[in-house]
Amino acid sequence: MLQTFSSSISPLLDARADGHSLPQGLYTRTDVFEADVEVFFRRHWICIGLECDVPEPGDASVIEIGNSSLILLRDDDEQIRVVHNVCRHRGSRLLDPGTTVVSKLVCPYHQWTYELSGELSYAPHMGIDFDKSCKNLKPVNFKSIGGLIYVCLSDNPPEDIARLEQVMAERLAPYDIRNAKVAFQSDVIEKGNWKLTIENNRECYHCSANHPELCVSFVDLDFGFDPTSLSPEDRKEAEQHHALYAERTKTWEAEGHPSSAVEPVIDGATNFRSQRLIIAGAGESQTPDATAASAKLLGSMKRKDLGDMHLWGHNSWNHFMGDHAVTAIVIPLSADRTLVRTKWLVHKDAVEGVDYDLDKLTSVWLATTDQDAELVARSHAGIEDPAYEPSAYSRFTEGHLDQFATWYINRMRAHGL
Amino acid sequence: MDFKPQASTAGPSPADWNPDADDTLICVDVHQETHDVKTFTFASPDGRQFGFLAGQYFLFDLELGGDAESRCYSVSSSPCRKNAISITVKRVPGGKVSNWLHDNLSPGVHVRANGPLGRFVRPSGRKFLFLSGGSGITPVMSMVRELADTSEPADAVFMHAGRTPKDLIFREELAYLANKLKALRLHFLPEEVAGERNWPGLSGRISREFLGLAVPDLAERIVMCCGPAPFMAAARRNTAELGVPSSNYIEESFDAAALEEDVLPVSDPVESATFKVEFSKQSRTIDVSGEQTVLSCAKKSGVRIPSSCANGLCGTCKSKLVSGTVDMKHSGGIRQREIDAGFFLPCCSKPLSDLVIDR
Repeated sequence: MLQTFSSSISPLLDARADGHSLPQGLYTRTDVFEADVEVFFRRHWICIGLECDVPEPGDASVIEIGNSSLILLRDDDEQIRVVHNVCRHRGSRLLDPGTTVVSKLVCPYHQWTYELSGELSYAPHMGIDFDKSCKNLKPVNFKSIGGLIYVCLSDNPPEDIARLEQVMAERLAPYDIRNAKVAFQSDVIEKGNWKLTIENNRECYHCSANHPELCVSFVDLDFGFDPTSLSPEDRKEAEQHHALYAERTKTWEAEGHPSSAVEPVIDGATNFRSQRLIIAGAGESQTPDATAASAKLLGSMKRKDLGDMHLWGHNSWNHFMGDHAVTAIVIPLSADRTLVRTKWLVHKDAVEGVDYDLDKLTSVWLATTDQDAELVARSHAGIEDPAYEPSAYSRFTEGHLDQFATWYINRMRAHGL
Repeated sequence: MDFKPQASTAGPSPADWNPDADDTLICVDVHQETHDVKTFTFASPDGRQFGFLAGQYFLFDLELGGDAESRCYSVSSSPCRKNAISITVKRVPGGKVSNWLHDNLSPGVHVRANGPLGRFVRPSGRKFLFLSGGSGITPVMSMVRELADTSEPADAVFMHAGRTPKDLIFREELAYLANKLKALRLHFLPEEVAGERNWPGLSGRISREFLGLAVPDLAERIVMCCGPAPFMAAARRNTAELGVPSSNYIEESFDAAALEEDVLPVSDPVESATFKVEFSKQSRTIDVSGEQTVLSCAKKSGVRIPSSCANGLCGTCKSKLVSGTVDMKHSGGIRQREIDAGFFLPCCSKPLSDLVIDR
């Protein structure tokens, strides 16, 4: 077949060896970054926030993805809306990044005024014959999956979002994330490529040496190990742990709590993984002592021992526990800068200082997030070094990275690169 | 005239007026109430019956010489009399809509109207003070007519203020109702007794002293108040001082329509006079009368406030009100939580007191 099109990125994709990390240029080149934004952040479903980011009518939150700026808001009928932050007059941004309260969406430039539905209601000095009806704000394709807001900026959004929707709507229902409250938010800009941020999140090979706080409640064995590297004692523990997993998952599912792993991570457009994980130690929550941080449990949760319902996507990771949830989204800023926005959610009626201690709630993941930012920066800096060459991922502990890199190459190919 | 009255005894009962589907009324009667007040009575061309609550209003869309004008008018008739609704309108010198209605609206004329609208309705309770100034009498008149029609055992004081005795609207009918209803007490308060030198009661403006004497058990009553904004401001302050909790003080919250052309003077000289409005960042203080919006006066005085729609819609002029109170009639350009946080829209707010604005 005649090769009619080959992008300058194509040779880099060709150069990726199975089981190996990506070639340098895929992490560092600006043209790759631009292609990544186009393919993975415009043509795939991405998580941009939560319904509870905008709890009341008039609450608005602006999220920027590449050149796109999106307004997530709640209208006067309590419905979530997502519109493009572009005035239909001369294109001015309506709102600044961040959160605000609006009564109407009013362009600060010439005061074109839009209802929260996006409908243009007032356009001064445009003449009596001006047809406002065709100048409404452009809506954004979005889905609220259990209260998590996914958008797709393409006119042809991948249909396999249905799988994620079907799996997670059921799993998230008892946590009622729609009606949770954002107790704390942290924005960290990692000095690295967004794929390194995701890769770092996909493995816990690095955990025992780098995340002492997280390891209290995390079971790093869940993320793989080389059996030959373990002492006989550790190996015995690992075997016991796996037996416990099988038993616990079976019990949870029998009690009506879907728990087993669902992981369409290579095939298809929508990459995600969900599983109910065991929490180590006290078994309740990702806190310094693994006990619950909030006395008021999320949603209709009645017990604290339902582990950690985790959910990965290609731009997010989430942990839903009985008492709180930690959600993170990843927004690429440039080839070597990535925003990680982490939110800690509690029951909307939980009161700080009464039902929960903010420090206990946030300290583990605040520490972990800082540690991860440091690791990603080190990783990116080394990959920029001419001495870098791709190397093999551990088949025991980095299987998810190999899958992610493979999926990445596949999706780039699927979009003609 | 194509209005066909429904026989009240024959055939099935006519359908009710449906606000979603019906928007045409036909004038069936015009009645001169006072020298400058007329009552216009409307029926549905299809003979539909009106279901509304005493205190509600209809929004009339009128074509006046090619211009579209919308006005709200409270229904003055009793909700128990469902075949027709009445509105009662005072002719105001220079008033575009009121003059058109007085000069042109006659039986047989069709108008467009939406309704019933509004939440100025009686809460549950047994003791009321109906307090009105000028043409603000209409919604509370509907309430007292309802009490008469239903024989509801409510204890009501009806107090109406007007410029002179000959400006008191529904004077004879109210006297008749007070004679008939055991628990209705009537107080008229003309500002001056011009034209009726033998006026038997007090005259002057509504005041704390007058209210205290006329309604000694005021604090136990639910106050339903309608009138021009300064009148309501004085009423609100006076009744609060006499022990009426704010939860028992209810006022008609629109005046853009029925009352906009009404310039009834009120009791307190401060209320009818101008207010000092200070713009703290610009170190400017201007005079604004209770009849003007803060924005329009600011503009005329060269005080700078960003603005656009001048209608309470876009919110561009949103400002922090450091002190004072205003009567704001916005169109969605500000949220209640912003109002609660001390913000207001100068474009659609008239002062009710001296103001300090963070501009």
